[in-house]
Amino acid sequence: MSGKAQEIGKLIAGSLLSGLEAKLAENVNVEGVSVGRLVVVDGVQNKFFCLLKDVSLEATNEDILLNPPSDDFAKLVHAGINTFYKVSIQPMLITAQNPTEEDRPRPSTTVPPHFSPVCEATEDDVALIFGKPGITNPEIGSPIFMEVPVCLNLERFCKRSNAIFGKSGSGKSVLARMVLGYLVKSDMAINLIFDMHGEYGWSATSEAGIDDPSLKQLLGGKIAIFTVDPKSPLYHRIRPDFDVQIPYSQIEIADLELAAGELGFTQAGIETMYRLSDKWGEDKWLAKFLTMDTDEFAGVVEDLKVNDQALGKLHRCLSRLKRLPFIRNSVADDTVTRIMDFIQDGKHIVFQFGRYNSMLAYILVANILTRRLHKLYVDKTDSARADGIEGPKPLVVTIEEAHKFLDPQVAKQTTFGIIAREMRKYNMVLLLIDQRPSGIDDEILSQVGTRIVGDLGDERDINAVLTGLPSQSTLKVLINNLEPRQFLLTGFALPMPVVIDAKDYGRFCHEVGIGVGAIGDEIERRKARDDLNEQVYGNDEIVFD
Amino acid sequence: MTYSGTTDRIGEIIEVYTTRFLAQSSGLEDLPHFGSFVRADSQDTNIYGLVYNVHEVNTDPNRRPMALGLEREELLRQHPYLPEFLKIEFDAAVIGFSDGAGIRAYLPPFPPRIHSFVYPCESQEILDLTEDLDFIRSINALPGLPVEELVAASIRLAYAERGGDRAFLVRAGQTIAQLLKDEYEKARSIIRRISDVG
Repeated sequence: MSGKAQEIGKLIAGSLLSGLEAKLAENVNVEGVSVGRLVVVDGVQNKFFCLLKDVSLEATNEDILLNPPSDDFAKLVHAGINTFYKVSIQPMLITAQNPTEEDRPRPSTTVPPHFSPVCEATEDDVALIFGKPGITNPEIGSPIFMEVPVCLNLERFCKRSNAIFGKSGSGKSVLARMVLGYLVKSDMAINLIFDMHGEYGWSATSEAGIDDPSLKQLLGGKIAIFTVDPKSPLYHRIRPDFDVQIPYSQIEIADLELAAGELGFTQAGIETMYRLSDKWGEDKWLAKFLTMDTDEFAGVVEDLKVNDQALGKLHRCLSRLKRLPFIRNSVADDTVTRIMDFIQDGKHIVFQFGRYNSMLAYILVANILTRRLHKLYVDKTDSARADGIEGPKPLVVTIEEAHKFLDPQVAKQTTFGIIAREMRKYNMVLLLIDQRPSGIDDEILSQVGTRIVGDLGDERDINAVLTGLPSQSTLKVLINNLEPRQFLLTGFALPMPVVIDAKDYGRFCHEVGIGVGAIGDEIERRKARDDLNEQVYGNDEIVFD
Repeated sequence: MTYSGTTDRIGEIIEVYTTRFLAQSSGLEDLPHFGSFVRADSQDTNIYGLVYNVHEVNTDPNRRPMALGLEREELLRQHPYLPEFLKIEFDAAVIGFSDGAGIRAYLPPFPPRIHSFVYPCESQEILDLTEDLDFIRSINALPGLPVEELVAASIRLAYAERGGDRAFLVRAGQTIAQLLKDEYEKARSIIRRISDVG
C-alpha cells in the first residue's frame, strides 16, 4: 500500500512547543480526519513525523457565525473560504527527505516552513519510524486507520520497567499476552509472570467467551507453570511444573504490612508484630503465634507488654493465613531455588493461583518471592560485576494489580518499588499491568520506560499515566479517544508515541506458536462447527438497539 | 480576436467615462436587459460592458410625460407619434476589452468613443468574459452600482449561457465568497440570489 502520500492540508501556524496548525484541504472530508493519526509534514530538507491531536472548526469572519449559510449551496461556496477546518499536529520526529541507511528519525528540534504540505503517513514512513517486523522487533499492531505494522523494540523494552494500563475490557490482558509471548519467543529476557487471574497459562477466556490459547499452549516447553493450587481445574489438561509451598519462616513483617488492607490490621498490629518478632525471632514468631490458643495470650501480654485487645485482633487477622493451604510450617522444596533453576535453564515462569486468587494470596506470594529473587539477582549481578563477567539474564517480572504493590504509602519499602526505581541496574525490571494507575506512586510512574495505555475512563488515571511524559496535553487527547483494543504506545521502546489497533490475536498465535499445527487444527475445527451451526440454524443475528 | 457588428446593434454611445458609458437605444422595443453583457466597437477594440441601468425619458428634458390611463396598444393607436418624443438610454459598466489577443477582464486604456455602436455580446464572448469571473471584482470596485443585483443577474445569465453548468455556479459562488469575505452580508445576499437557479 505504499505509494504517494495523500495531502490533507497546508501548514499555516504553530510552534515546536505548542504544536503546529494546518488548514485542511477543501477536498478532504473532515469526518474522516481523526485524532491520533500519523501525519507527515514535507519540509524543504526534512520530513517531520507528527501526531494529529485536534481538529477544529474555524471561520474567517464573525458575521458568518452570526448568520450561518442556510442552504447547501451557500455552505458549499463558503467552505474553504469563510469557513475552514484546522488540524493541530504535534511534531515528534524529523528525518532527511531522502534518508540514507544510517539515518534514523531523531526528535524534532525545529519546525517546517509555512505552507508545507501535510500528508497522511505512508507504509514507508511508518516502517522508517518503527522498523520492519522481526523476532526482536515484533509487530504488535498497526496505526489506527492504517494496515502497516508498528513494531516494539524488545531490546529497549527490556531495559526499563514498563507498564500496560487500561480499564477492564480495554483489551490489556490480550495485548499483555502478546507482548509477553513475543518476549518469550525472542529470548531477550526471562519472564516471571504473576498470573492472578489464570490468563497466561494454558488458555484464557476472551471477551467473546471463547477460550484463546495462552502462553503455555503456544510456547510449550519454554513456559513453566508454577502454582499454589495444583488441584485447580486449570490443570485438567496440563500438569503444572511445580507446586509452590511457602513456609511461615519466609514471611516478613513487610510482606504482611503490604497486605494490611486484606488482613485488616492497623498500625498497632504492626507494632505488635515487631515486638513478637524481636522476642521470638524473625523466622519463628509467625508460626508460633498462629499455633497459640487465645488462653495463652495472657502470658504474652505480660511478657511483651502489649495490649491484650490488640494482640487478640492481630491473631484473628493473621489467622486468615491459615486458610491459604500453600503457606505451611515446613515445605519440601524451596520455590525461589526452583525458580532460579528454571531461569538458569532459560525457562519462563507463569505463576498461578488457581482458586486462591484472592488479593491476599497474590500480594503475599508475589512480594515474598520477588523480594528473595531480587536479593539473589543483586548478589549475582554484583559478583558478576566484580568478576568482570556478564551478569544474569535480564528478568522481567510481570505483576497484575500493580497499584497494590506500588501505592505511594508502601512503594518506598516494597521490593517492587525498589526494582522500579533502580531500573535495569540489577538486570531485573517490572512489567506492570493495572487498571488503576492513579493508585501507583508518582515517582515509580515517572520511571516507567514504555507505557502501553488503553482506554482508561477516569481522569485521575489518565493524568497518572502521563506522569513525567512530554506533550502531555496531546497524549491526553489521544487517550480520551481510545476505543477497546486501541492503545497508545509511548516511551523508551518507541521512537514516537503512536495510537495502534492491537494486532489480531489469531495472527499472533500463528506467528508465535510452537504448536501452530494444533492451534490451526483447533481454529479449523471451530470454523467447521460454526459453519455447521450456520447451516443448521441459519446465521440470523439478534440485534439489540 | 475582435468581434464586428454582426448582430443587430442595440444602441449608440452618447457619453463615456473610463469605467462606464451611456448609450441611447436604437428603438423603443429593444430594451437591453439589466445585467446583460454588451460590446462597444470602437477603433478596432471591443470594449465590454455590463448593463446596470436602463431608463426611458422624454426627448425634451423640459417636458414630463403625463399618465394617460391607456393600454399600450390603444396608446400607440391614439398617439402614433409618441415614440418620437421618448428615448431609451442605458448605462454599462466597463468590465474588459479585447484587442485581438483575447479578452482581458480589466479596464481598457481608453474608453469607447462617443457615437460608437453597442451590440449584445455573442455567446462565446459571454463564456470568455465570465471564465475567470474577475469582472465581479471590477464591478464591486465601482461606486454607486447595485452590485448585489448586478452580479447575481450577470452570473445567472452566464450560467444559462453555459447550459446550466453547476460547477460554474459553485465556482462563481466561491469567487464571490472570496472577493467579498470582508462584506459577508453582501456576499450572502448575492449567493442567495444565484442559488435558486441551480
